[in-house]
Parts: sequence; structure tokens; C-alpha cells
Amino acid sequence: MSRSKGRFGRFAVLEQAAPFIGFLASVVVLVVIVIVMQESPLKAFAAIFKFTLSTSAKLAAVVSISIPYFLSGLSIAVAFRAGVFNIGNEGQYFVGGLVGAMAGIYLPLPPAIHIPVVVLASMAGGALWALVPAVLKATRGIHEVISTIMFNNIGIALVNYLVNGPLSGMKKGVSLEPQTKKILASAVFGKLNGFFRSIGWNVPNYVYLDYSLVVALVMGVVVWFLLFRTRRGFEIRAVGASIDVSRYAGIRVKRVQVGAFLLSGAIAGLIGLQEIFAIRGFYTYSIASGLGFDGIAISLIGKNSPIGVVFASVLFAFLKQGGYGLQLSTKVPNSVTYAIQGLMILFIVVINEVMIRFVRNLRKKEALR
Amino acid sequence: MNLSFVGYFLLKGLEISAPIAFAALGGVFSERAGVVNIALEGIMGVTSLTLVWGAIAFQSIWMGLIAAVVTGMLMGMVHAVVTVTFKVDHVVSGVAINVFGIGLSRFLCQSMFGAETQSKINPYLFPKLLGINSVAFWLVPVVALCMFALYRTVFGLRLRSVGENPEAADTLGVNVNLLKYVGVVLSGALCGLASATLFADKWITGMVAGRGFIALAAVIFGRWDPLGAVLASLLFGYADTFRIVFESKIPIPSQFVQMFPYVLALVVLAGLAGRSRAPSADGKPFLKGEE
Amino acid sequence: MSDFLLEMRDITKHFPGVTANDRVSIDLRPGEVHALVGENGAGKTTLMKILYGLNRPDAGSIWVRGERISIRGPRDAIRRGIGMVHQHFMLLQPFTVLENIILGEESHTAGVLALAAQRKRIADLMRENRLVVDIDSRVEELSVGVQQRVEILKILFRGATILIFDEPTAVLTPQEVDELFRTLREITRQGKGIIFISHKLDEVLSIADRITVIRQGRVVQTMDRAGATKQRIAELMVGKPVLLEVDRPVVQRGSAVLAVRDLRVRTARNPSAVGGVSFDVHAGEIYGIAGVEGNGQSELVRAIAEGAEVESGEILLEGGNITRWPVRRRRDGGIAHIPEDRQKYGLLLAFSLAQNLALGRHHKPPFSTRLATINFRAIRESAREIIKRFDIRTPSEETPAHALSGGNQQKAVVARELSGGPKLLLASQPTRGVDIGATEFIHRQLMQARSEGKAVLLISADLDELIALSDRIGVMYKGKIIKEFTHDTAVREAVGLAMTGEASDVAV
Repeated sequence: MSRSKGRFGRFAVLEQAAPFIGFLASVVVLVVIVIVMQESPLKAFAAIFKFTLSTSAKLAAVVSISIPYFLSGLSIAVAFRAGVFNIGNEGQYFVGGLVGAMAGIYLPLPPAIHIPVVVLASMAGGALWALVPAVLKATRGIHEVISTIMFNNIGIALVNYLVNGPLSGMKKGVSLEPQTKKILASAVFGKLNGFFRSIGWNVPNYVYLDYSLVVALVMGVVVWFLLFRTRRGFEIRAVGASIDVSRYAGIRVKRVQVGAFLLSGAIAGLIGLQEIFAIRGFYTYSIASGLGFDGIAISLIGKNSPIGVVFASVLFAFLKQGGYGLQLSTKVPNSVTYAIQGLMILFIVVINEVMIRFVRNLRKKEALR
Repeated sequence: MNLSFVGYFLLKGLEISAPIAFAALGGVFSERAGVVNIALEGIMGVTSLTLVWGAIAFQSIWMGLIAAVVTGMLMGMVHAVVTVTFKVDHVVSGVAINVFGIGLSRFLCQSMFGAETQSKINPYLFPKLLGINSVAFWLVPVVALCMFALYRTVFGLRLRSVGENPEAADTLGVNVNLLKYVGVVLSGALCGLASATLFADKWITGMVAGRGFIALAAVIFGRWDPLGAVLASLLFGYADTFRIVFESKIPIPSQFVQMFPYVLALVVLAGLAGRSRAPSADGKPFLKGEE
Repeated sequence: MSDFLLEMRDITKHFPGVTANDRVSIDLRPGEVHALVGENGAGKTTLMKILYGLNRPDAGSIWVRGERISIRGPRDAIRRGIGMVHQHFMLLQPFTVLENIILGEESHTAGVLALAAQRKRIADLMRENRLVVDIDSRVEELSVGVQQRVEILKILFRGATILIFDEPTAVLTPQEVDELFRTLREITRQGKGIIFISHKLDEVLSIADRITVIRQGRVVQTMDRAGATKQRIAELMVGKPVLLEVDRPVVQRGSAVLAVRDLRVRTARNPSAVGGVSFDVHAGEIYGIAGVEGNGQSELVRAIAEGAEVESGEILLEGGNITRWPVRRRRDGGIAHIPEDRQKYGLLLAFSLAQNLALGRHHKPPFSTRLATINFRAIRESAREIIKRFDIRTPSEETPAHALSGGNQQKAVVARELSGGPKLLLASQPTRGVDIGATEFIHRQLMQARSEGKAVLLISADLDELIALSDRIGVMYKGKIIKEFTHDTAVREAVGLAMTGEASDVAV
């Protein structure tokens, strides 16, 4: 028997190549658009670079923005691995964020405990909002794409009502938008800028590298460990690969799917953490929206793996900032990055599929020698 | 309750149901050809933008309609290429196109009108008939045409065979891939028509508001039959009309009333699940003999 | 003008890693039934797919009535009068018989269906060939034998003069086989030619005028019916003297490991898929289930392996009632299952061979630790040992399962199921689609399991395999076991007769 091919065999490179090729293809499209808009591609790239990578402050901004993207992508990756299309992370983070905010506002606790409690409460809120679609899927076989989208809309309406009504903390003449009361100081997410400065990375105070970064990293490690080192994770991946085979092998398919669904919702509940607990200090339903759908894009680009999601979320943050750079210095509008992102996904899913079939053929030929 | 009010309610309901109904008809053709299309929402988002753009640019709402239909067909084409030629999972492709649609529409809007989230106002509108958008009335001949095409023509028979058992159709010389393409592109075109019955005066991001997904629920509820899907769409549409008309009179907070169409869709699906039957090869990639 | 209806000359077709057809030549005379026999994977189906336009040959030529033709797709084949009745019916179940027959050849005015003339033509065809079917019924309402008639009408409708039948009797009862053969003779009486692919040698000898044996992509011999014997054909198919008997050591039969009591299974399609079945399987015994596919065997196995769709009755494992047990508990309790479709049910094709070999026991030590993590090293070590013991051909234990050949994939499934030390082994079509080498190996494994005192339930559509391996055989017909045979009384004719439903004194 020849040496182990495993994850690092020569086919592995091809299998992982799709995101890179897709990215390059999108860059080509960007260049074309830039030229069509009668700008020089070099100028465009310079503008992007200047706005994203030129100083440590700018770089820190990219990292800061990537935190909610990462959590969003991670939530989707977990679900996709089990074959569950959780499109509802949008609603899940609005609801999860509100539940977390409630814990932050109404539970007086010492900081060391308050912050973990707030994190758990957000996760619980997100999981709660995934519960009904998960149960509907398991018991009635209702496709989760439709049910989670419906729940997105229901969730946003619900949150709207609660923040305008019973949970309102509006002060006449002071508050600019419907919001809750302020989050207690013990639950506010502190900044880590001091820590970074001490290790040589000069992060200015207006950039948010806060506790949510820690939460993101921890969740990333937890999910990676779960998926690739535990029995549950193995079963999640098996179910995502084939429900029939999993059932045959004794895996409790429905249980695994519901579990992955709820976990996905729980992680989604954390998406708004940075904005609510670090940036704003209270909850409002006009926190950034659309992060849920971005997470879907990020997960697809990152091939549904925690490591891939790291890269994809940083890429998205990079593109977002870069877009502003483009808009400031050239005629190209910043929304081109949204179009490019969408195009990138299409390129990547297509190339991924082509690669998989191509490698399959190569492996077959090799196995028969 | 007087007669003119009933008349108003019926007409308003038709107008509100129309976008869902046209989109649902598109969904039926795509799925009957075996391609799951959850990108109806994303496609409608873009076609409603090009509708407004076309009307303003060419100073005619009919040009806007053409622009919308063409855009829908192009986006349908993308879904077809990705799923039929490259055999990517249908739901993944649909999700990708939805995301792409959101991004594309923002980019196009900013390029066309200078603002990312809303367009200029379009003064060229469809003529009204009996007080509502006259295009809504097209629903009647269109659904009749769809029923006829699907069940009484060679095209319809072959399309249905492709969604039921593409291998069998292939052995009889039916061009499976071509028909799948047609089904999907047709669904895109119908999305263009759907956006014509939405709001033609202005494009705002998010204006489709989930109708593309409600259309999917209508397809399922209507058992993948054109007439059934339209009737189901009318159910959703009239329920929403009921909400709009009586909103102020209902003692519940407005946000809960807003939830109504979405909750209804869920209840309807929950009540039905397992009893309706999709085309057998719906969602499955077609691999010709050599592969 | 040539005597031959059809000639295929020096047809060659390569696939990655294998030459499916190597300079194959075969011809067909008018009014003749020419049988094409060979093992699974010998190249028969590939050759016919080339003839029907579903594949393209790399070399060689095809001649119809002395004229060289090129076939680029099914439409060309149909135009030339070539029609194929596939092994797995190519029918649209919810559509009517009429729709199925005319699809692709619909008569129309400007695109609108106008089928009155075609209806009449089909009615005429039915009369001429003595194939009667209700033209407006939906195919899904018809029995398998009648569905096959629809397939035949489909190709006759298109003017087929060269008819290809691919394993047509696999799903028929012996009565239906007789009817089919009557139809075939009627068709050849009209001067048409039939190519009949089968590996059922009794049937081949009964219907064929000439027989061509294919082995590993090459024609071994073409012979006339006169003078052909089963033994001779089988030897040519396999390439060496065939042992039609398997080595059967005498084994002491133990107590009942599996006891099924009045089991009833109801599915969405069939309310009495299994209608009251009772039998035992003892330790050290192979109990075979014979029967035409579709008489409840699959549902029976699924009920025992997974508890699927059980309506009433009991399943006892070593005396304990396991009827309501979930799958995992059954496996942990000692039930192993070789599923009838290894790719759909048995293997996670994208996962490595090693992980597949641990599947089903991955939750137990040594593969799973107390902290519920997976011990991948243990999985790999165990896999290496199994691969050696069962001689599974693979570049590495980390190779993804989809890269293995069919025979090695099946070996992997068998190896996995046996390495857990089960008490009861359920083997469903264990050698389906598997080459001769792997088949022999699997047979030996099954006999070995029997010698070790395991209880084996064997379901197979291959009557020869069943008769050679089983200690007892139960014949399933319409959801019931209607007759049991012992190894000594299990003669092909008697079991075959029971498979038609004869020997039942239970009202069906």
C-alpha cells in the first residue's frame, strides 16, 4: 500500500482550489468593470490597497468588520454540513441579539459572569428562533428554506414590536431611533486595543477589536473541533453526505439535523454581538441587516469549513472596505463589491463542482492502476 | 358591506396576488422541468429595478416591461447554466443567485440612479383598468395559456417528462437539457412579468419582501399545477389584502398583522406536508449515459 | 444486399481504466433470437448502449441491412429501426400508457397534441402482436409484466425491426416469462430480429436461436442453439471450469437467533407489502429468501434491519423482542446488514475507506472515546487490518470510497459488516453487480460466517446462488412465505414453480 494520501495528497490541492480560482475570476471581472467605467485598474487597486492594507489601523478595521461576517458564515457552515439550509440566520441574529440585550439590561451580575451569560443568552435566543423551523422539518418534512425565510420576516416584525413597545428605552429628545434601555456596564464588551498595542499592533481607539473577537475565535475553534474531532461532528458530516447511508448505519438522522439546526441558530444569535455590546451599548432593530445573507455567501465561498470561513469573512470585510476606497478615489461606486461578491459565489460553486468531478475521475483512474 | 366595497376588495386582491401568481407560474415551469428554483425572489429584485430603469430610459413603461422580462430571462439563464450544465446543487445555486441578485441590484441602482437603495421615481406607469394595474388582468389569459401549453402541447408533454424521468425521455430522443433550460428561462421571464405587477413607480431595496418565497409555497400548495399555483397565490394575496384593508380596525399591534402572510404560508405548508408530490426528478442532476 | 439484419463489426470502447468492448463482432439474422450472455461487467450492456446510441464507440462499424450507418444518439437508432427494452424500465410512472408510447414521436398540429390517429395505430399494433394494455391507464397502476408490454409497444410503435432486450426476465414471474417468450416468437415470426441479453442460462436455451458469449469485453464464441449446453456456456462465460456447487462443510445448527412472528409491513405503495410472515433463522445456518423482486423481500429486510414501516408482528433476536428497537440498538445487539444497493445505502462515497469501515460502530470504542471524540488513528489501524484480511484493492485506506471498483466497494461493505462480530447477518443481493472474483470471495465469507455459528439471512435474485449457499429456502410471494425448502429438496424447477405462487394454499 502506498503512502497515505489523506488530506495532503496531491488531489487535495485541486479539491481546495475552487475558492482561489473563483476569486481570481472575480478580480478579472472587477478589472473589466473598472475599465468599462473608464478608470485605470492600477488606480483602482491602489485605492483598494490604500483603504484596506496600507496602515495597521486600516488593517485592524478590516479585521474588526470581519468578526460578524465570520460568525454568520460559521453558523451557516455548521448547518450546511448537516445538509440543512438555514437561511434564517438573519432573523436569528435579530432575535438572539435582543434576548442577549435583555440579559445585559435586566440581569445585574458581576462582569466576569455577566459577559458569558450575555453570550449564552444570545445563543439561546438564536437557537430559539431556529427551533420551530427545525421541528417543522423533522416532523412534517417542510423544507427549511421556506420556513426560515418566513421566520426571518416574522422575527423582524416581532423585534420591531418589542423594541417599540414593552422593551422600549427611548428617551424623548435624546434617542434618535427606536431602542431599548442601555446595557449595564458590567455587560458591555470592552476593547482589546490596549492589548494589541502592547504587542506592537497600533490599533486606534475608533476601531473595534473587542471581546466579540474572542467569542468569534472561541466559536471557530469549538466548531472546528466539534465537526472534525468528535463523534457528533462525524455524524453531522455523514448526514450531510447521505441521509440514507446514515440511517442505515444507525445514526439518528433527525436528531442530528435538529441539533445542527439549533447550533446554527445559536451561533447566528451572536452575529450582532459586536454592534450591540461593543459599538452601540443598547439594542435597536436598525443594527446592520443583511449579515445573514452575507453569511450564506461566506460559507459557500469558504466551502463550509471553519478555516475556509475565516478566509472568506476576512475577504468580505476586505472587499467592503475596499469598495469604500474605490468610491472615494475613483468613479467606481462601492456597491460594485456587492455585485462582485455575488459573482464570486457563482464562480466558486461552479468551479467547485467541476473540480469535484474532475478529481473523482482522476482518483478512479489511479485506483484502477 | 356594500357592493362597491366588495368590488374594490376583489380588484385590490387581484392586484396584490398578481406578483405572487406570476412568480409561482414561473416556479411551476421550472420545477416541472426538474429544476428547483428558489431564486425567484432574487430575480424579481433585479427585474423590478430594470423595469423602472427601462421605463425611465426609454420613456415608456412597455420598454420597461421588455427590460424586466429580458433581465429575468438572463438571470434564469444563469441558474440554468449553473444547475443544468455544471450540475451544481439546485438549492445552492438558487441561494447564490439570490445573494448575487441583491448585490447586482444595489450595484445597478447606484450606477443607474446614483443611490444604492432606491431609484428615481418613474412617471411612466401601466394603464389602469377598473382602478388597478391592468397587467394584473393578464393573469387570466396567461394562466390559461400555461395550462394549455403544459398539458396539450408537445412542448408541455416533453417538459413534464424531463422533470419526471429524464433518463427515459433521453432514450426516446427528447432533448433533456434544452427543455430544462427552457423551463428555467421561462421562470425568469415570468418573474419579469411578476415585477410589472409589483410597484412600477419606484424601486426600493427589499421591496419584493419575500413574495418570491411565498410563490414557492404557492407552487407546493398548488401541487405543481399552473392553475393550482395561481389559486394558492390568490389565497395568499387575498389574505394579505384582508390584512391591509382591515389593519387599522384590528386591535392587534400592526407588526403582528404584518406577520400574517408569512405565518399563513407556514400554516398552509405545515398542514399539507407529505401529501403532495413533486415531479420525481425535481432537484436531481441529469447525467447522460457516458458519465 | 446482405443476409443480415444487423452487423456490429470490431466494436471497441474504452472507459478510464477498463476496456469495456474489445473488437466485438456480432450479427443478427431476420427472424432470429440471438442471445448475448456474459457475467456482470462483461460488456454486454455497453455494447447495446452503443447500438442504441447512448454511447459512442471508439472504433468499429455498424451495418443495418448491408448499409453502414452511424448512430449519434437514440434518435438515429430509432430511425434505423433499432429499439431497446431496458432492464430498468424507462417509463414515466404518472403518465398514461398512450403518453409513454408516443413521447418523442407525438403527432401534432402546430405544436398542439393531436393523438387520434396514433391511438388507432397503437390499437392495431396491440392486436397484431397480441399485446393488450389499457391505453389510458397510468403506468404506475400496472403490474410489472404489463409495464414491460408498454415498453415493447413503445419500440414497435417506432417501427423497430431490431429489438434489444436487456435482462427482461429479471422482474417477471415464470408465468410472465412464458407470455414474454410467446410475444418474442410472434415478433420474430414477422421477420424482425431480437437480441436477448441475459445471464439466465435456462431461459437462454429455451428462446435463443444463436448464443454469443462475451467475457471481459471480448467475444469468446458464437454458437448455434443445437448442441449448446448450460455447462459449456457457463464455462465460456467464466473462463474456467465452473464449480456450480459450493463447498459445504457440515455445521451443527444452533438455536434460533432470529425469529419473525406474523410480521406485517405496510408501505405507502402497498398496504400488505409483507402480509404475515413467520420464520426462524438458526445459528450456523444460511436461510435464503427466494422470490421475484417486488414480492416483499426488500421490505422484510428493512423491517428486520431498521424496523421500517412495521405494522404489527414481532421480531425476536435470541428471544428478545427487538421490534421497536432503533437501528443503532439493533446493530449494537449484533445485527449486521449488507444492503442491496451499496452506493445508496452502504457507503459514504466522499469519505475515506477507513472511515467507511468504521461506520456503524464509530460510536463505540475503540473508534470513539469516553469524551465522545473520534480516534482516527484507531480507525486507520483497524482499516489497514481489515483491508489486508479481506484483500480489498485500494491505493490506501485514506482513499475515498468512490474511487474503488464496484467489487471492492462491495467487499468493503461485507468486510465491515462481518468485522463487528455479528450474531445475525442480513445479506441483501450481496453479489449484485460484482465481478466473478469478488463474488466467489463473498460466497466464501458467507459460508465462513455460517461455520462460525452466525445466523445468515440471504436474499438474492440469483436462484443458483441461493440454492448453492442456503441450508433452507423460503419462497416469498406477494408478501408471504408460501413454501420452505431444505437444501436437499431445493431443486431449481420446484423453487421456480413456488416463485410463481403455486404451492400456496393461502388465499392471495
